[in-house]
Amino acid sequence: MHPVRQSFLVRRYSQNVNVADARRVEATASPRHAARIVFVFLLVVGFAVIGLGPSAAHAQDWIRTGTGLGVEKVRLAASDFKATTQDPNTPGLLKAFNDTLWNDLDNAGIFEMVSKSFYPTDVPGNPSEVHFDAWSTPPPNASMLAFGDFGATGNSLLVHGWLYDVKNVGSPQVLGKQYTDAATQDGARTIAHKFADEIIFRLGGGVPGIAESKIYFVSDRGGHKEIWAMDYDGSNQHQVTHIGSISLSPRISPDGTRLAFSSLTKTSWEIMVYSVELNRLVSFARNGGTNLSPTWAPDGARVAFSSSRGGESNIYIADATGGNLHRLTTGRGPDVGPTFNRKTGAQIAFVSGRTGLPQIYTMEADGTNVQRVTDQGYAVSPSWSPNGQFLALAWFRKYGPGAPGANDIYLMDIASKQWVQLTHDGGRNDFPSWSPDGRHIVFQSSRSGSEQIWTMLADGTKVQQLTFSGRNSQPNWSWK
Amino acid sequence: MQANADIFTEPNELGKPLVYSVVFHATVVGLIFAAGTILSRGTGSGWGAGGGGEAMGVTMVSTVPLPAPQTETQNVLANDSKGLTKSQPEPKAMEQPDAIPIPDKTSKVKPKPVTTASKQKPAAQPAEETNEVPFGQGGPVSGPYGTFSSGGAKGGFGFQGGGGDFGSAYAWYVRVVQQKVSQNWLKYEIDPNIHQANRVYVQFDITRNGQPTNVQLEQSSGVPSLDQSAIRAIQRIDTFGPLPSDYSGSKVTVEFWFDFKR
Repeated sequence: MHPVRQSFLVRRYSQNVNVADARRVEATASPRHAARIVFVFLLVVGFAVIGLGPSAAHAQDWIRTGTGLGVEKVRLAASDFKATTQDPNTPGLLKAFNDTLWNDLDNAGIFEMVSKSFYPTDVPGNPSEVHFDAWSTPPPNASMLAFGDFGATGNSLLVHGWLYDVKNVGSPQVLGKQYTDAATQDGARTIAHKFADEIIFRLGGGVPGIAESKIYFVSDRGGHKEIWAMDYDGSNQHQVTHIGSISLSPRISPDGTRLAFSSLTKTSWEIMVYSVELNRLVSFARNGGTNLSPTWAPDGARVAFSSSRGGESNIYIADATGGNLHRLTTGRGPDVGPTFNRKTGAQIAFVSGRTGLPQIYTMEADGTNVQRVTDQGYAVSPSWSPNGQFLALAWFRKYGPGAPGANDIYLMDIASKQWVQLTHDGGRNDFPSWSPDGRHIVFQSSRSGSEQIWTMLADGTKVQQLTFSGRNSQPNWSWK
Repeated sequence: MQANADIFTEPNELGKPLVYSVVFHATVVGLIFAAGTILSRGTGSGWGAGGGGEAMGVTMVSTVPLPAPQTETQNVLANDSKGLTKSQPEPKAMEQPDAIPIPDKTSKVKPKPVTTASKQKPAAQPAEETNEVPFGQGGPVSGPYGTFSSGGAKGGFGFQGGGGDFGSAYAWYVRVVQQKVSQNWLKYEIDPNIHQANRVYVQFDITRNGQPTNVQLEQSSGVPSLDQSAIRAIQRIDTFGPLPSDYSGSKVTVEFWFDFKR
């Protein structure tokens, strides 16, 4: 073959044929046809020359579309609450209250918040001051209105809050609530969280709001990797454990009292349990070998984790103090990262390397009926949704040298094996964890340059960064 | 004759190297294939391409408990249904039967003499309008919140119980019910060979704490998988949230219908 022609072909295929196409051509080539063999030979030589080096992963374009997007969401207006006292502290507390209420409702994911610039100038403080037409017609065009009054007297706050269906003049009231708390910033925020949760509970179909939930994560900002905690919106970040070693993969118990994690001791990685109420470690049996990634059963009485005490890493299950240990998985290849079906507690999803690269498998909680759920790539970090229907996972769908893969968060429907990609074009994303309402996912992402904690709605929208200092990873959302 | 011999030997001299060449190249390609299979066996399904799972991509998982992208017509007037009622026909301007047009004096044409029949024939009676509604055309009869549609499939419902005005007094609750049912209706449970089916009616009660109970199939669509998916859509729901606190009844009965069209 003439060298010029060969280089032309090489160039041509380097432009037009991707790896998958080349494989298809290889597979269909029949060695009986000399001409095709020559063709395939050229193709192979071409790839040997140019195809082996890893090519840069290109960011893919993507669009989000749908019919009638946003029509379904309730248009909710949340007017600033009206101050009823002249106390000098009132303006600051009222601002904290209004901001928190707005953020909670905005983050809920089920409302279309009506911008405050559209509101009528006279803010209602009680039901008699509501002018329905001013709210239910454009520009606000709201169907729901949250309003109320806010008073600070001495050391206590007194807040009245209402939720009105302003398009239903006949019987508008959906909610009417009264709250008291200490006259502090925290008190004002707590009341706002409670009122927001009540609104979300009513209009969201009986699913409790998450404003009072917590997120546990690993942070190195104190010098060592320790377990930290924060509110769901990123405020009130504080250190929980002070072990001075390396602690990873925190998992809070369903009742929110105990924190299981794996920590490096002098000899090995062991599972440890920390009581959030007692602020100290409580006993959990040491197994020897490498023990990682604990997870709580929904009843709070069992802990599953991976242990290499028997040689290869397998999934074990024990009771809450580490006693009564059973091995669940066998066979070659490491099995790690168990997570219970949060609704039934009857299944466990885990990561296994038994076929090479890690893939997600499910099994019954007694270790039977092992089934593979991911079909390709590199899949880790399964997290079972509160309604038992979905797995969130971190997945390289195209993994390998030269493959245009990226580490993104995916959602998979367990029954149908349908999946949808949630994150796009944003660094390495890993360790998804579900919020108690099943509407949010917290995850770790390097899209800002370093590992930080982010949240998003479970459909991939409304991505928000929660942590900014140090390196923070492996978030875990509390169960309630 | 010598020339002829030259002519006949020529193909042989060309053919042998060609055969050698083909055999050589086939060997090289065969070696590459062999090396490929041996190497790939070493890393197992190293590229993750091995079968086992049966995952498939979709554009949207609708059952995330978030408002799904779906078209919805809140206005009962703006749907395709012909409805049960018929607006009154516009009254026609009454014509005087024995009015004679005034003859135009400028016209050359002489108006013909008008002859009036001694006996007027009765006008043909218009066919009486029946109030029957073609099957599937009726649409919902209750409330502006009656229908939803998602992904080409439609559903609707009516509320009974209480003072009969639950839907108007607690429109926000009705909206919650509609949204939760449409979110939990998994259309992939329906037999993929079915492209269109009759309407299926499901009835259930909502207790005070919001749980759906007493789920019944009122009228089957004739497609078992569609009936099952409609019932499961209700059964899959843990709670709709407690009934409005100022509602006096102990339960609300909901009738839901599902129209499936792929």
